[in-house]
Amino acid sequence: MQLLQKFKLGKSKKSPSKGHANYAYTTARVRAMKSKILPKETYPRLMNMSIDEITRFIGESEYKEDIDELARIHDGVDLIEHALNRNLAVTFTKLLSISEGDVNFLVGEKLKKYDIWNIKTLLRGKYCNASTEEILEAIVAAGRLSYSFLSSLAAKGTYEEVISELANTEYYPILKGYDGTNLSDIENQLDKMYYAGLFGTIRESKSKDRKLFAEFIRMGIDLKNLVTLFRLKKSGIADPEMMNLMIDGGLRLKHRDIEKMMPLSFADFVSELESNPYWDVMADVVRPDMVSLIDIETRLKKHRLKSAASFSHVYPISIVPIMDYMLSKQNEISNLRIIVRGKAANLDDDIIKEQLVI
Amino acid sequence: MVTETLTVMDPAGLKAIGAGLAVGLTGIASALAEKDIGSAAIGAMAENESLFGKGLILTVIPETIVIFGLVVSLLIIQ
Repeated sequence: MQLLQKFKLGKSKKSPSKGHANYAYTTARVRAMKSKILPKETYPRLMNMSIDEITRFIGESEYKEDIDELARIHDGVDLIEHALNRNLAVTFTKLLSISEGDVNFLVGEKLKKYDIWNIKTLLRGKYCNASTEEILEAIVAAGRLSYSFLSSLAAKGTYEEVISELANTEYYPILKGYDGTNLSDIENQLDKMYYAGLFGTIRESKSKDRKLFAEFIRMGIDLKNLVTLFRLKKSGIADPEMMNLMIDGGLRLKHRDIEKMMPLSFADFVSELESNPYWDVMADVVRPDMVSLIDIETRLKKHRLKSAASFSHVYPISIVPIMDYMLSKQNEISNLRIIVRGKAANLDDDIIKEQLVI
Repeated sequence: MVTETLTVMDPAGLKAIGAGLAVGLTGIASALAEKDIGSAAIGAMAENESLFGKGLILTVIPETIVIFGLVVSLLIIQ
């Protein structure tokens, strides 16, 4: 079929697709990788362990290499934190190296999030005169920018040098507007550029796979907007200016619906939500007098994970299982981090459990 | 005087063409089916070597298509 399509399309391809994509190979491999993700029964066991026991436990699992490598530099919570970051970077760059063509392109677009994260970290580091080591500790080289390139940037003296080194990248047009004071503005622009890039890849092609990718991304935007809305409403902000924090292009939560909800008080906002398509997900935890938003945020994250998993069963040979794996991996790492950080801060077990997305 | 030449196709030749098509087309079909399964099996094996046996079996299952084709072609030729 792909051969036929190639003949039909000829050389006038408009999409930025990079040729043949071996979905069968990549999805099978990613599914095998997913089978190594910690099962949910592990978390209650981890809750009963001390930090050293957790280090040992994850040192015997997929994180062995990372723990072994970093154990001579760090220890305790820092060791786990760095091992988790390293593992995430290694896993995601592996996804880039085992995929080709269209899959590689789409995964790369999604991973730009980490490139942007790293550029932000570099700029923030230079802004507050952090040392090279401090900056490198916060870097997660899971995108297309390699660790060695990023560490060479971290070693630069000023932000001007960092930006001039990035002159050949697509981030340069935004970065050159940075004058040392408008950091938050530049960060917002970079984030919006990430989503604009994602939408760019979706719009240009009508293939089924890109549509699935689009749906996946747009659902993520919906949930992100909902969380931002909840936080704004909870702190009593009704300023229409805040609309620029919202990301356009959601799947079921349209921009004009958010505009309508923006001036409402928290209680009105909650009653308005009842007609929202995501109401079923959070109906039993949303109350007008609620104190903490943790329940809602974990519920929305869980919904995203579940829908990604069921989506990946419906379309087994497509981009969705890969995206599902990326989400599950990120979630595993954030759960482990929550447990370890919670234990280090002597938090109550119940509080840690509330934060976990299982 | 007008002469008319009649060409009659040899039934044995037609049978041979049919038999050839039966094996050839089913061979292509098996190949197409095995292509994806094979690459998926290799992908899974790269992560977990113990899947070699299962991967091998799944890869050769579409081979039945070409075996049926072969059987049909043998029946035609007889």
